[in-house]
Formats: sequence, C-alpha cells, structure tokens
Amino acid sequence: MNFEWTDEQQAFRRKLVDFLAANLPEDWEEFSKHGPASPALTEFARGFCRKLAENGMLFPHWPKDIGGEGLGPWEQQILAEVMWEYGEPRGGQYMNVNWIGPTMLKYGTEAQKAKYLPQISAGEMLWCQGFSEPNSGSDLASLRTRAELEGDHYKVNGQKIWTSYAGLADTCFLLTRTSDDRKKGITILLVPMDTPGITVRQIPSLIGEGDIHEVFFDDVIVPVGQRFGEEGQAWEIIGYSLTNERLGIPRYHLAREALDRAVGILKANGEFTRETVKAEAARCAALCEAARTAIYAIVQKRVDGGTVGPESSSARYATVQAERAVSEFVVEYVPEALAGQSAFLQMHHQRGIVAGIASGAAEIQLNIIASDVLQLPREPR
Amino acid sequence: MLLSLSEDQTQILDFIDSLTRPYAAVPMHDVSFALTSDALDAELVEGGFLDVMAMEELGAVTAALVVEKLARLPFAVEAAASALVRPLLDPELPRPLCLVEEGSLRKPVRFLKPGATVVVVGEGSVRSFTAGEEHVRSAGDEVLYGYPVAFLTGVPAETRSHDVTSERLLTAWRGALAAEAAGLLAAALASVTTYVGERKQFGRPIATFQALRHRLAEIQVATNGVYWLALRAAMTGTAGDAALAALHAQEAAKRVGYDFHQFLGAMGMTLEHPLHLWTYRLKLLTAELGGRGAQAVAAADAIWGD
Repeated sequence: MNFEWTDEQQAFRRKLVDFLAANLPEDWEEFSKHGPASPALTEFARGFCRKLAENGMLFPHWPKDIGGEGLGPWEQQILAEVMWEYGEPRGGQYMNVNWIGPTMLKYGTEAQKAKYLPQISAGEMLWCQGFSEPNSGSDLASLRTRAELEGDHYKVNGQKIWTSYAGLADTCFLLTRTSDDRKKGITILLVPMDTPGITVRQIPSLIGEGDIHEVFFDDVIVPVGQRFGEEGQAWEIIGYSLTNERLGIPRYHLAREALDRAVGILKANGEFTRETVKAEAARCAALCEAARTAIYAIVQKRVDGGTVGPESSSARYATVQAERAVSEFVVEYVPEALAGQSAFLQMHHQRGIVAGIASGAAEIQLNIIASDVLQLPREPR
Repeated sequence: MLLSLSEDQTQILDFIDSLTRPYAAVPMHDVSFALTSDALDAELVEGGFLDVMAMEELGAVTAALVVEKLARLPFAVEAAASALVRPLLDPELPRPLCLVEEGSLRKPVRFLKPGATVVVVGEGSVRSFTAGEEHVRSAGDEVLYGYPVAFLTGVPAETRSHDVTSERLLTAWRGALAAEAAGLLAAALASVTTYVGERKQFGRPIATFQALRHRLAEIQVATNGVYWLALRAAMTGTAGDAALAALHAQEAAKRVGYDFHQFLGAMGMTLEHPLHLWTYRLKLLTAELGGRGAQAVAAADAIWGD
C-alpha cells in the first residue's frame, strides 16, 4: 500500500499544470466566474479542449486506437483533479470524459461510436443530459417524456427541466418513456439539439449564467438509429453512467484548494491564530481528505479490474460533506470572498451548491448506502 | 498510488481471523463492562502479530491493519500502542504499553497494571518506566469504559529517556488511536445494522425506517473515512495525516456514541447486547490526547503552520 504518487504520476500532473499555465488566459480566474455553461466559457472550452486533444490530454486514459494515450485510472483521476483545481476549463465537455465517453464505449452501436467518438475525442462535442422532468427529479423512474415508435423513427413529446448545458449543447442524451413499465419502459435517444420541435428556455440560477434550462419536445422526430442501447435498457445504462459521474468530479480536491486559499487569506490578515478558526479549518481538511481517500479506494478497484458498486455513493456523500463544510467555512470566516473579492472562492461556492443535488441527490446516495453497502432491508414502497 | 492490500497483508488478516475466531463472540452470560482475555493476548504475542511494523515487507500500514482488525473483537486488546508506538521506543519494552501525557495524572489510563510499561510524553521528552504496585491505583468496580483502566499515582524520579521526539511519538499515538477507532466503529456499526435489520416494530424491521437508515448510512461514510485516513497516516507517518486521522476518528466516535444505543432502543441500555464493548471503548478514545479540539489544532498547525 502506498499513498504517494509515483514519479511518472507526478510528472503527468506537472505536465498538465504546465499546459494549463501556458494555455489559460491571464485573467482566467475572473473569466471562469462566468460559469462552466456560460456562452463565454463554452466557447473558450471548445478551443481549449481541441488543444487538450491535440496534446493527448483530453482522454489520456483511453486506448490509443480511439484517441487516447493508453494511461490508467490514476491518470484519469489526476487529470480530473488538475482540471477542477483550475475551475474546470473544459466546461461542459468534462462530461464526455466522465461518463458519456465510457458509456458510449460500452453501450454504443458501431455506427454511433464511429459517429460520436471522433468528435468527442477531438474535443468538439458538447452534450446535455435530458434526465430530470418537472415531476421526476430524484424519482427519475417516473419520467413521462414519451417516445412513440412510428416506423423508422420515434416521435418525442414532453418536457425536461434543470438540464445543464442545454442552451449550447450539440446533442441531448435523452431519457424517454417507451412503455408503461416503470424502469424497463425507459429508452435513451441521442437527439441533435437543432432538431425541429425542441425549445430551450434558460432558468436563472445560483450556479452561474447559462447553467440550467427547461427543454420542451413537441413532435420531435428521432430516427431509430439514434436510439442508444435497446428499448427499455436505459435504467441499466444510466446506472453505469451515474457511477462514473459520481466519481468523475473530484470536488474534494476543489474543496481542499478552496480551503487552502481561504486559510491563506486568513493568514495574510493575521487572523489564523485563533484556535477556534484553526479547528474549524482542520475539520474541513479532515472531511476533504476522508473523501479523497474514499474515492482513491474506488480508483484502485478500477485499476485492479473490479466493478465499482454502491461504495461510489459512500464516496460521493463524503465529497458532498467536504464541499459543504468548506463552503460554510468560507462564508463564516472569509465572507468578503462572496462579495467579489475572490473569483476562485466565489466560483467554488457557486458550484458547491450543486454537489448534493446533481447526478443523484445526497439523500438518494444515503438510501443506496443503507440498502446496498450496509445491506439493510429496503423501505416498503 | 497503490491502495490494494498486499498478499502478505491479506494473509496476516486471514491468520488473525482464524486465531481470533474463538474470541469473536461474547462468552455466554458474560455481562462485563470490559472484556479481556490473557489467552488471546498471549496468542497474539506468540504469533508476532504485534511486531509486524518492524518487518520490512510489512511495516506500519500492516500494523494499522492488525490494530483495526483486533479492535473489532468484543475483547479489548492492548494492540494499538504495542504495534504502532512501541517500535519507535524499544520493541522489547514489556507490555501492555500505556501512553500518558505529562501532567494528566487525573485521567484513567487504559490497560494500566503493575508490570505495564508507562510511556510519559512531555513537552520535549519521552520517558518510560515499568509500573510497580505503588504507581497503580485501582479504578474500582464503577468504571464506565470498555477498557480495563486504572489511575497512575505518579511518575517515579528514575525513568528511561527515549531517543524520539515528543512530536514523533504523538504522531504515532494519533495514528494508533485512529486505527483502533476505525475497527471499533466498524464493529459497532455491524452490530447495530444486524440488530435493526432483525428487530421488528409496526410490522416491519426498524431498519426500513428512513429515520435510522440515513443516520446509519452517514455513519458508514464516517467509518470508511476513518479507516482510510488511519491507513494513510500509518503509511506517510506525517504529523498532519496523523492528526487529521485522529480528529476524524474522534469526531466519528463522538457522533455514534448515543446514536448507536438509540437505534437499539431499550436493548441499547442493557449489558446483554455487546454494543457497549465497542462504544464504551470509543468513548474513552474521544478523551485521549486532549480530545477533538486538540487534534484539530495539531492538524491545522501541521498543515498550515509556518
């Protein structure tokens, strides 16, 4: 057992950091306040991801024959940590690395892989995730957006909400209902966002500009070839996707960076002397590092070829706790940061609110831990 | 980065499983507040399980794994100090090893008895002596902890000085505390989950009520965190990692103290259920090394100090 990075892993991290230093604009922190889904950052990310791809840093953990460098899960984690430490300059394209890419590789048809993988690995593709609906949030299996099979196409009608990146995405990874069977009646369609019948409305948010939307589908025609997986296979596929998504965002690392910066501000002002403040900071650090080690244990499982199971929910919940603790620490002890005095801490705080809500609410993670980690009998439904 | 257990580590844990099988349950009709076994202790010593830290291919992480594993037993074993602290002083020091902070004589000392080695950690010195009858005052029969404890009457004028800094000793102590707490938390959690999965009220297992499920799930998250932070502290040996691990352990221990007994309802008030054998050890661990606040400040100084 060794908790230290190898020389090669350290060199990989340095290479990424050097690349960011050379390729991010000087006012990057200020610029990144626009938010990852803003038009400005999305436009920047398209160029930036293209450069990452050209330098083998967009999918270094993928096999070489599909645009990667053949590196492993630890390098994937290092990549994620460095990107989040810098405020995620990949914008919404981080999703390609986290879960769309792996899901496409596992479940896509050859035609879909041939169509999408080159665009994804070139850093040219932005997706949105058409999951939640007005009456289907945590109870995702109750979704009602219907896809009727009509010959060689589906006709889609319904509404999605709180959809990140929808305003500028190229394609929607859309969950639809194709039969009344609760979980086995859900089917995934890959829908170009410029298809007639799609209307997108932005929802002002606490996260930042352009992040969440309502998406309306009125008689939207989607060819059968755009179905992803079999009819009714969506629940299995999104289970796989969300496991990847939960691990893919190293919020513990961003939170730790925010904590270190907050402490840096306190020290610079001679205020990191009170033991009560130090103790609070240490509690935050313990939560960040506990989350980090929980995630790393899962990365090791991937390295060893194991299947990641419900322990990802435990690690995710640990991350949520760390994120919240650091956000609260900043508000309590460095309140000026959220009044325009620290672009980085403000960005952290804005994104922190997402931690326990997106990709499965924290309470859902607790349910999964109770049932599948602790093996407690399930709640009656 | 490599977080898998080595074959040697897996094998040692398997050996411990086999060796401790007769001690995995509370003896019939035993309602002790603290359960100990000289036979178990002797078997662990004979098997060399408390000496793995000094073995090159095993080291401190293996010692932490051993401590964590042994802490899961209903029997209290003096393993943490022997396995993770004694190698820094003198691997031949007589056991049990009792760690005390200079000036804290009013506090009960775990495993203290005549013949034990008492290690006194002061501001700038680490000293030890073998406790005689005159150094030990019995705590009587009214002890509410899951460890055998006694009081130290004083420190003799003649002590042995050790060539190790107080800081280094405290780091090892914090790491040992975290490893032991990780095992205690895991065992208590397993005990409680079994009970709430079987106990029925309102026609269904009480584990099906979300009021319990979410709190138990949060404790699982904390327990997992303590386990990994304890292993990391053992591996890196840094003051910051050890203090964070001990802090997280004491935070978790404080949190579960009442919750676990609450989940057992009236059964949680009895000595017929073994839960107290783990939780009332955790209680005393929360008082060690100055408690959570002291660990937190130590961690902050180690991480962000000048």
